[in-house]
Amino acid sequence: MNRLPADCREIEPYLLAVAGGEGDRQAARRVEGHVATCRSCREELRHYRAVDGLVHALRVAPLRGDDATLAHAQLTTRLADLRSRMVSFGIFPSPLGPLLIGRSDQGVALVRYLPPSGALSAQLRAQLGADAIEDPTATEALWAELVEYLEGRRARLDWPLDLRRMRSDFQRRVLEATAALPYGGVTSYAGIAARIGAPAAGRAVAQALRWNPLPIVIPCHRVIGSTGALVGYAGKRVELKQRLLAVEGVKAVAAHHEFRVRREAMYTLMAGEREYCVPTCGSLSSQPLSVLTLFGTRERAEAAGFTPCSSCRPDLHPLPA
Amino acid sequence: MGRVMAEDAFEAVVGAHHAEIRRYLLRITARASDADDLSQETFLRAFRAYRALPEGANVRAWLFAIATNLGRNHFRAQSRRRRAYAAVAQEMPVGAPAHADGQVMADEARVRIERVIDGLPGKQRLAFVMRKMHDLEYAEIGASLHCSEESARAHVFQALRKIRRGLDGHLAVGTESHS
Repeated sequence: MNRLPADCREIEPYLLAVAGGEGDRQAARRVEGHVATCRSCREELRHYRAVDGLVHALRVAPLRGDDATLAHAQLTTRLADLRSRMVSFGIFPSPLGPLLIGRSDQGVALVRYLPPSGALSAQLRAQLGADAIEDPTATEALWAELVEYLEGRRARLDWPLDLRRMRSDFQRRVLEATAALPYGGVTSYAGIAARIGAPAAGRAVAQALRWNPLPIVIPCHRVIGSTGALVGYAGKRVELKQRLLAVEGVKAVAAHHEFRVRREAMYTLMAGEREYCVPTCGSLSSQPLSVLTLFGTRERAEAAGFTPCSSCRPDLHPLPA
Repeated sequence: MGRVMAEDAFEAVVGAHHAEIRRYLLRITARASDADDLSQETFLRAFRAYRALPEGANVRAWLFAIATNLGRNHFRAQSRRRRAYAAVAQEMPVGAPAHADGQVMADEARVRIERVIDGLPGKQRLAFVMRKMHDLEYAEIGASLHCSEESARAHVFQALRKIRRGLDGHLAVGTESHS
């Protein structure tokens, strides 16, 4: 090509473009003008047009192995698997500080209190999984409902839950029993143990709730110590538990570096009963907390479907507010 | 919720582009099993990144860019095997047309053009396939190969020159008749 005259060197890229059907009208005219007087470039143009013809034939010829059916089927399966494992999460402000909400396509998978900085710990990142995506749009509707809940404007979070991150079947049963606790009602760890038919497993219940992946949504804040002390929550953040309970009408008073629910100030429901009582009704005051559910207000007990006891008549003789 | 919509939209993306992306990968790898694996990987990656894709982005060109990246990584990993394979491929072209369609292509010319394309340097070959087999714009090819639009065009033209030289004497062009 170095032997070509300058004009031919200059026209060559246009010639390639025109032969391949790419040149604009101006390029076509230029090439036309040049090849009208230059025989070797005319030859080149013919050659490149022939190349273009071969390339086109190659393009339209059937390709051996051009069957995407298997790859498509495998891809569909792998995408479904990826989707079901993939967590989309958002980080939002709340009355209890920054919260992370994560969901998969199965349901809500993770709620986590974050430090005031909103930073994610390495452990939390590991829990979210390598495919987690920060995508607030996926969870902002949940966040709006959660804020309503935390402000006492909503009593239920009817969310589909993704409980596949459970550590064991025992933990799943603990969380299911905890999720069944009514809004505004509290019981003890031993009470949850009794509900799942493992009455001696109070400590194991506490441990299982320590790893509750969905605090607030699965209301582990409604599970307290057998003495009425709030015990643990979100590490050492018992004050969060106290605030969550306060939203639901359960007062916990501060005493000796702890918060305690006073049984004598709570409406009381015996396990298996449909009627709620004042705490002094019959032998209730001598019963362990594990067989009871306590409510801070009559409204909460009645909203949960219970009726006033026909002998102690909490409707006629309510507890002092 | 936004996520659900994004998923539905992604189903449509797979439906619209998977076959073509696999065909592209088949052309550049010449192996159906590689095309299967890499096309799946392309879409799994695309799915993870799909939500971050700006609205109105050219999804097809973006998929070609992902496939091209995967293809190039694959070539790097397989370069040794590929060199050994190339010797066999000369006698037994895989991915060659099963039969000529429409225009009759001389067997010899076909084998030659494939051999030349197969022997092109990586970027020239990829740019050529994207442009001439899949009609991508030069700017899109540039984005796939991390180079400018002009470089992408230069790669394609260089590929054409090599093909033309490689086919010298095998092109069905009659000589000019003199008046």
